Amino acid sequence: MDGLREQSLAAIAAATDLAALDAVDAALFGKNGSVLQLVKGVSSLPKEQRPAAGKAANELKVALQAALEARRTALREQVLAADLLAPDFDPTEPGPALPRGTLHPITIVQDELVDLFSAMGFSWQDGPEIETEFFNFDALNIPPEHPARDSMDTFWLQGGHLLRTHTSPVQVRTMLRFPPPLKVIVPGRVFRQETVDASHEHTFYQMEGLVVDRGVSVANLIHTMKTCLQQILRRELQVRLRPGFFPFVEPGFELDVNCPFCSGKGCSVCKHSGWIEILPCGMVHPNVLRAGGLDPEEWTGFAFGMGLQRVVMLRYGIHDIRLFMGGDLRFLRQFDTL
Amino acid sequence: MKLSYRWLARHVDLSGLTPEQIRNDLTLSTAEIEAVEPFGQGLDEIVVGHVLERRKHPEADKLSVTRVDAGQGEALQIVCGAPNVAAGQSVAVVLPGRRLPDGTRIGKAKLRGIESFGMICSERELGLSDEHEGILVLEPGARPGTRFVDAVPVADHVLEIDNKSINHRPDLWGHHGFARELAAIYGRELHAPVRRQALPADGTRVVLSVEDPADCPRYLGLVLAGLKVQRSPAWLRYLLRAVGQRPINNLVDATNFVMLDLGQPLHAFDLRMLSPQGVHVRRARPGETMHTLDGQERRLEPVDLLITSGGEAVALAGVMGGARSAVADDTSTIFLESATFHPTRIRRTSTRLGLRTEASSRYEKALDPALAEDAVHRMAELLAEVSPGAHAAGPMGDATGWRFAPRTIRLRKARLDHKLGVTLPVERVESIFRGLRFGVQRCTEGLDVGIPSWRATKDLTIEDDLIEEVGRMHRFDNIPPVPLTGTVALAPREPELFLAQRALRVAAAELGCHEVYHYSFVPDALLAACRADGQEYLRVANPVAPEITRMRRHVLPSTLGAVAQNLRVQPEVRLMEHGKGYQPERRDAHGLPHEVRELGIVWARNAGAEPYPELRSRVLGLCARLGAPATAADLHPGGDLAWIHPGRTVALRRGERAFGYVGVLHPHVAANLGIPPTTAIATLDLRALLAAGVAEPRFVPIPRFPSQPVDVALLAPSGARAGDLARFLREVGDGMVRDVVLFEAYRGAGLPPGTKSLNFTVTLGAEDRTLTAADEEAYLMRVRQRCAGLGVTLRG
Repeated sequence: MDGLREQSLAAIAAATDLAALDAVDAALFGKNGSVLQLVKGVSSLPKEQRPAAGKAANELKVALQAALEARRTALREQVLAADLLAPDFDPTEPGPALPRGTLHPITIVQDELVDLFSAMGFSWQDGPEIETEFFNFDALNIPPEHPARDSMDTFWLQGGHLLRTHTSPVQVRTMLRFPPPLKVIVPGRVFRQETVDASHEHTFYQMEGLVVDRGVSVANLIHTMKTCLQQILRRELQVRLRPGFFPFVEPGFELDVNCPFCSGKGCSVCKHSGWIEILPCGMVHPNVLRAGGLDPEEWTGFAFGMGLQRVVMLRYGIHDIRLFMGGDLRFLRQFDTL
Repeated sequence: MKLSYRWLARHVDLSGLTPEQIRNDLTLSTAEIEAVEPFGQGLDEIVVGHVLERRKHPEADKLSVTRVDAGQGEALQIVCGAPNVAAGQSVAVVLPGRRLPDGTRIGKAKLRGIESFGMICSERELGLSDEHEGILVLEPGARPGTRFVDAVPVADHVLEIDNKSINHRPDLWGHHGFARELAAIYGRELHAPVRRQALPADGTRVVLSVEDPADCPRYLGLVLAGLKVQRSPAWLRYLLRAVGQRPINNLVDATNFVMLDLGQPLHAFDLRMLSPQGVHVRRARPGETMHTLDGQERRLEPVDLLITSGGEAVALAGVMGGARSAVADDTSTIFLESATFHPTRIRRTSTRLGLRTEASSRYEKALDPALAEDAVHRMAELLAEVSPGAHAAGPMGDATGWRFAPRTIRLRKARLDHKLGVTLPVERVESIFRGLRFGVQRCTEGLDVGIPSWRATKDLTIEDDLIEEVGRMHRFDNIPPVPLTGTVALAPREPELFLAQRALRVAAAELGCHEVYHYSFVPDALLAACRADGQEYLRVANPVAPEITRMRRHVLPSTLGAVAQNLRVQPEVRLMEHGKGYQPERRDAHGLPHEVRELGIVWARNAGAEPYPELRSRVLGLCARLGAPATAADLHPGGDLAWIHPGRTVALRRGERAFGYVGVLHPHVAANLGIPPTTAIATLDLRALLAAGVAEPRFVPIPRFPSQPVDVALLAPSGARAGDLARFLREVGDGMVRDVVLFEAYRGAGLPPGTKSLNFTVTLGAEDRTLTAADEEAYLMRVRQRCAGLGVTLRG
């Protein structure tokens, strides 16, 4: 019995893993296990030897079970400890490449602007891309023979309609559709017959805005535009408002921001002026209000037309406007935010 | 347009004001100044020299050896390469050891063996022009050694104006106009633009007539005699040079000067070339031609306005003079024309002939007719100065008798304050108008403002125009910003726009699509590749290129056009495009063609599993996400979608209403575009989706009794549609079927040829009890019995 005890304890101690220990366990306590045999063997001993032998056998059994349990626990802890160290598991290895889509950078900035203006109570509206001469020009105080018609090189369709040269037609359409007070933004695609180069496109995007109410003033315009630009260019910025002439606003302005590339000191991007022209705007011309069915004595408004591509190029540091319509995934997939 | 600082200073006192300041203040109040450049700077070390002697260089034909008195004591020996150097001239000299404006230091040199001390300069070396044919010869008079800049005042700064910012201001196309603005901005005195000349009451006059005063509201003429055509004096030459004009001779230069000074173009005819019948302004007759100054023969049309004499055209009014009547070097008597033409007339002719001149660009702006008279007096005065002996030979002729009709506009103070959003004291407003030289009278409502003639032709017509004047002179930056206030009400919504926004986001996140933008025009070649050539398209009359005239009817051909290029750089391409298609056969109430708003999707893979099955699942998922869970159970009929595979594309529907499709690209289109034939495509028509009904999920109580999944394998002919069989399995369930999902379509070994095994999991359940094995048996029995009618058998 002592021999068995020694042997078994040694075997238990020698088990290097749980499988080996299970084997020892089976050898001792499994079918035909040596300890079970021993305990069974007590009943075949002479009667006066049985109590002592039985007690000893039982003690052995208990001791070996305890040893097994202890070793088992120790081995489990070893496994856990090894697991924690896990030298051949590299969490810095890249996982599988999962397809991940992206929005076009103009969509991203447009959505932000829509959110921003919606937070100020503006309504997101749309208008047709194919327009009538009336809505694109006449209703906006641009009669035939007006030089402004030349400066917007128009695409004409066979059959007499044109492709809208700006999003401004939607100003009048909206005024005809909804009663004032109005706060509307209209992002959209516009078209001008221009030679395409690094800073010019024939198909581009504008974001038009219109506010019409009683008592809307230049002061309101300045405040709204400055707030919007600060949000969208994500920095404290200086703006300056200088006279600009457009037939559909009076007074009309050009809103400039100080150049982000040189902080206003002067560089090639801002043509050494320190300012970047970004936002034509102005107070809606009374003739346009009238075309929208409103009385300019009662209602005033302001309007602005942001060149979306210009803003997007400033935001992301894109240098060539042709990339936007180029359909090249090496460009598009860089704009990963949703 | 360029302005010279020195030239401006002739009209208004600019002391203490730097060119940069002027640039800034003009930009903020008047017009955009794009740049300020120095002119004629860096000449402090140049001196006047007299050429005492000139002889040919013994060793070099093209060189001369001169002795020049440059006021330094000893005369300098200077070797000079100019062909025009001669004794007796006054020239510009760089002394040895001194610098040229570009920084080059001139020293002692040896040219072909002869020493040269210093240099005689050409205009180009002085940085005054590109003239380098010969040296600059100065007017005599300055003592040798005098600083060049004291003898010839040239130092200047040039402001470059962005012409687009003064298109609406006809009064700003000359130095006096800008000087007037500066006088208003800085509160300085403005010098009168002209000193009126005493013109003879009698003498040589040219008979003047105008066919239609609408075309030509004012036509003035003056005969000037005693002219001698020669080089203009230096002061005039360099003012012209500073603003980018090339001096020709005193006569031409004087007309240019007056134009750039006052903004009124002038034209001089050699009087010998005019008929004694006089000058008549009329429209061209059909077929009429003329030779213009630039040597071209022009075909004229009845829209062109002509200056004629003796029945023949002598000038294209407002645009360019005729060749025959142009002034020549021996001209001594001219007929000077100073006129105002209808701006549209000039613009049309100028555009038609592709002739844009300094004159025509001014006439197009609607000039103030009062200016024409000022210009006559100015020219008379100037000509006498630059050609001594020149004088008016008769009275000024006037063909139309134009008179300025003064106008007043009322500016209501309340409206001014209201529109600007700031209340200015009325004194401030008055002083702004007075500074601009507008007449001002107070009235109960505000101010009655008299509009001067130079602002009366088109720019100031309504009250709001006056509000702009006040705002710009006060400076818009001085208006404190004020937030908008207003009603809080829900703004009207355009659901299509929000739907598109959400669809793009879901498609980016769940379908892994990258959004592309393409032009609305489609090249003919791409439409042909998509088999969509023969359909009806809107066409652009003035396209960017002759093969890109058609406006796309649907978005997808544009998207397909980007696949091949991208598949070259990555193995899998997932694109989406949100945009409009334009369909001419349907029109809206205004007659405008119908515009569809679509989201197009393309998935293409060079290798690996076919994209369609996964795209199908994802697209159905997208529809569910948008609140429009759809079925995709029947083939799309096609219509004008020529690029879909007719046997492998299903329509997306809610109930009866279709709003899109998902499927495989037509194999011919794939071949034409060079992309894999497994390319999968989809399109959602967003407006149709909205019309088909968008709904929120509706809660269905969780079944109290458990579901029982049953595997059903149907052996079907290859052409059988899973959708039909799924429907069958549901219907045959008598309300006990909660769901039917196809988990495998197996084709291959072990099946009879021409068949496939469609393996479904049918989820059975009842509301009132737990189903038993008997229920399952009963269901399978019904399936077995009725499926034969569909040509399928239940397996197993």
